[in-house]
Amino acid sequence: MADRAPIDLTKLIIHAVALLLVLSYALPYLYLVSTALKPAVDVQQIPPSFLPQRLSLENFTSVIGTVGLPEAFLNSAIVAVLTTLLSLLIAVPAAYVSALYRRRLTMLFMLFALITRMVPAVSLGVPLFQIMKTLGLLDTTIGLVLAHTSTAVPLAMLLMAAFFEGVPKELEEAARVDGCTRFGAFWHIVLPVMPSGLAITALFSFIASWNEFLYALLLTSESSKTAPIVIAEFNSVYGLAWGPMTAAAVLYSLPVILVTLVLQKQIVGGLTFGAVKG
Amino acid sequence: MTERRFVLLMLMPAMLFLGLLVVYPVALLVYNSFFDVKLIDPASRVFVGLANYIEALTSRRILESAVRTLKYSVFALFFELLFGLGAALLFAAIARHSHWHRTIFALPLMISPIVAGLLWRFLLVGNIGILNYGLAALGIIPDPGAIKWLSDTDIVIYSVAAADIWLTTSFVALVSYAGLMNIPRDVLEAARIDGTNAINRFWYITLPMLRPVLAVVVVVRGIDALKTFDLIWIQTQGGPRQQSEVLSMNIYQRMVRYGDLGQASATATLFLLVMIGIAGLAYWKIWRADRG
Amino acid sequence: MNKTLFGAVAALCLATSAAQAEAITVLVEGGGHSLQQAAADAFTKETGIEVNFVEVPYQGVFDKLTAEIASGTSNYDVATIDVVWNAAFASHVEDLSDLFTDAVKADIPPALLADATVGGKLIAMPAWANAEIVFYRKDLWEDPANQAAFKAQYGYDLAPPADWQQWRDMAKFFTKDGMFGTDVIGATSEEWMAEVLQAGSPGVILDDAGQVILDNQAHIDALVNYRAPLCEDKSAPDNALEINWGEAQNLFYQGQTAMMKFWAHAYKMTPEDSKIAGKVGVAPMIGGPAGIAGIPGPWYNVIPSTSEHKDAARQFIAFAIAHNGLGIEAPLGLAATNSAYASYTDKPGYEHFGPLLATLSAPATKGRPINEHYQELVDEAVMPAFQGALECQDNVAELLHDAAATARDILGQ
Repeated sequence: MADRAPIDLTKLIIHAVALLLVLSYALPYLYLVSTALKPAVDVQQIPPSFLPQRLSLENFTSVIGTVGLPEAFLNSAIVAVLTTLLSLLIAVPAAYVSALYRRRLTMLFMLFALITRMVPAVSLGVPLFQIMKTLGLLDTTIGLVLAHTSTAVPLAMLLMAAFFEGVPKELEEAARVDGCTRFGAFWHIVLPVMPSGLAITALFSFIASWNEFLYALLLTSESSKTAPIVIAEFNSVYGLAWGPMTAAAVLYSLPVILVTLVLQKQIVGGLTFGAVKG
Repeated sequence: MTERRFVLLMLMPAMLFLGLLVVYPVALLVYNSFFDVKLIDPASRVFVGLANYIEALTSRRILESAVRTLKYSVFALFFELLFGLGAALLFAAIARHSHWHRTIFALPLMISPIVAGLLWRFLLVGNIGILNYGLAALGIIPDPGAIKWLSDTDIVIYSVAAADIWLTTSFVALVSYAGLMNIPRDVLEAARIDGTNAINRFWYITLPMLRPVLAVVVVVRGIDALKTFDLIWIQTQGGPRQQSEVLSMNIYQRMVRYGDLGQASATATLFLLVMIGIAGLAYWKIWRADRG
Repeated sequence: MNKTLFGAVAALCLATSAAQAEAITVLVEGGGHSLQQAAADAFTKETGIEVNFVEVPYQGVFDKLTAEIASGTSNYDVATIDVVWNAAFASHVEDLSDLFTDAVKADIPPALLADATVGGKLIAMPAWANAEIVFYRKDLWEDPANQAAFKAQYGYDLAPPADWQQWRDMAKFFTKDGMFGTDVIGATSEEWMAEVLQAGSPGVILDDAGQVILDNQAHIDALVNYRAPLCEDKSAPDNALEINWGEAQNLFYQGQTAMMKFWAHAYKMTPEDSKIAGKVGVAPMIGGPAGIAGIPGPWYNVIPSTSEHKDAARQFIAFAIAHNGLGIEAPLGLAATNSAYASYTDKPGYEHFGPLLATLSAPATKGRPINEHYQELVDEAVMPAFQGALECQDNVAELLHDAAATARDILGQ
């Protein structure tokens, strides 16, 4: 008994702190949601109130009626999904050999990937615009996917390499002894034990593309315009339409929240991965 | 297939891709940096040698925004690591019950920087910013006007980092958590049975094993913080009195708003070189050392 | 070769090219879209030429148009741009002088014509114009108790403020009951620029010859006056540097300030369920030593020289200015021509058009300098000095002196 009590207390404190941390982190988001639910005129009340004093869906109805917003949501989704797939397709093999076949070439390549990530996007926007224009890919889904993938690949490579580092080289060697080709070992043996790493990498690629603003602003105009641009348009020279903007932002965050919920299992799957390794 | 050919084949797509969409534009950038050239009229250019570099290196404005960029990045990174790693450890401690914690904690990740910037401006700005009303209600500050987060030139560069910290601590936490989950539990269990206390277990077992993941987090987040643009732009546009202007904003202003392509390219090239230096150092220090 | 035949062939070619140019693309910001949609619809009905609007955020108009022009070909046939960009695009857009017939010229306030002229050519056609006017709370101004108390304190009748002194007096007077008299905007400098003109400066930042006059007496006087409600009278919220247009407008809508100077379009946009709905009065911009003066906020239509449908684009611009009044029914309710505004001044709900026209056509009203470095001058020279002054400590003359040096450096003077 004397031994158990302090342990429970520690657990309790840990739970309490975790809860507090999570709540304080959620507060700004909750405020965004609660703001979206206020009538437009109350949004910038002085002094502000956290909870709506009057509930109203007028921001949501006005946003759904906004020309181009549903299309922009769809564009964002298509671009983000394609970016995620393409990034994984390009980054995962490179990360694999960088982690498991460590040699001068792969080391240099990782360094190179790191360097490409350092280029400030603001300075690449203009040259990228010219490239896309030459390729005839301006204002196309493919053009934006390529641009987003160019920023997502380095991060995906670094993340995947870090996850592959955790894979014992013996696993690959054992697979090869069992008759797998190098590619077979990669595809059939190593990849399947890393759902957690893949899920997290996919998630980050997806989110980066979903939320990207600068390239989307420059490289799309009408037919492939993504939602962050439309959301930014609420902030016009004639004032910031806070109500509709928060409503659009809330709606825009919902699909990603869903994606995260779906991937929760994979993220927790890291546990299984640890077991494999042990 | 030989090992060498296999490695090359696996690297090939990434090489080609990054070559076309990053190396080529960067080469254009470096090329432009040696010219006096206007953005709107790239056809008429005058070769000026290193003049743009000399101007950039002697400009007080650029030096000041470089220092500010560093302040901003160190500040943001420190708190992101502190909160992120702390959260990951807490979640790991209650592993089975942390499902919802992690989901909620990941919320800011879903928010686009544009919205996050506007949201934090909304939280911090005078008169309507709810943060100060909250702090005043808790008795931490005497009245809601006591701290001018976005108009006090001494603190504005740290105030605008709040949005960054909020937005990306989740990234640090989630990646660290995945790293923690990959540490074999029997190692920790063995240490516990041996009587090693929690702090020592963290310091001598968890932290070293987390090192590759943490290295990635520090390097990736550090670079992102150094490159920050839209998040600050939307909050303050670099003001007041240019006290929240960071380097990438300076480059954007000069390149796009002032159309001075040559000068901006030189600054961007220098910026890139310095970053390569910093990251190279970090890479060899943390990553390589780890491999021994 | 037979001349008539040649002419006929040429006409045929023109006709084909016009027939092929069935659509033009117009690059706009959100406001430009809504204000020009009605004219575009009427244009399509009359000519059969489709008008596609590509709507981007404010800064996107400049960024995208620049990138398009730099790439040598353009998807845009018309761009609706902020006046401050006129000079930057001047050498990359078509000369529109022939669209400015005498009738058109006579119908546009002179300040707007001046802003459209770069290097002697008229390169841009006004789409709509805006200016800051005075917004005040009618209920407070018409309250007999306030009127009596004001008269007793200041010795003259309480009426909408007309000059600098009245503005300061009334701001002080209404700073009571948890309310500020007015606001001082510190995140952007246009409102101060209007006061520079009111103080009698021959121009803002630069004179007509392009020489830097940022440190002349009018600039100094205007800045001293501009910051007075903030620094001396305490009749404005003290977080001026955070206050931009949106914040200023909101303070007024929330009943936190008794009056403001603001862009005229806001009159129609007062939320119906706000505290001050139905209580808003408007008056022309205040005057200084040189009388009433405002900074026009016009937007212009230009044709990028990279456009492939220039004829259709010209037709659209000519049509849009001839039917300029169509924009007034849009939510922002703005136009550029005197006749468009005049046709609405007597209608209820358009009380702001009188003050707006009075401000736009005041003799001292003048556009911001048409200089390709304008953006850089404002960001690098003006803003640091302006915001420094609003910290209420530094000497205004010294700040502007340094700013002028920076400005000369930028212009290589």
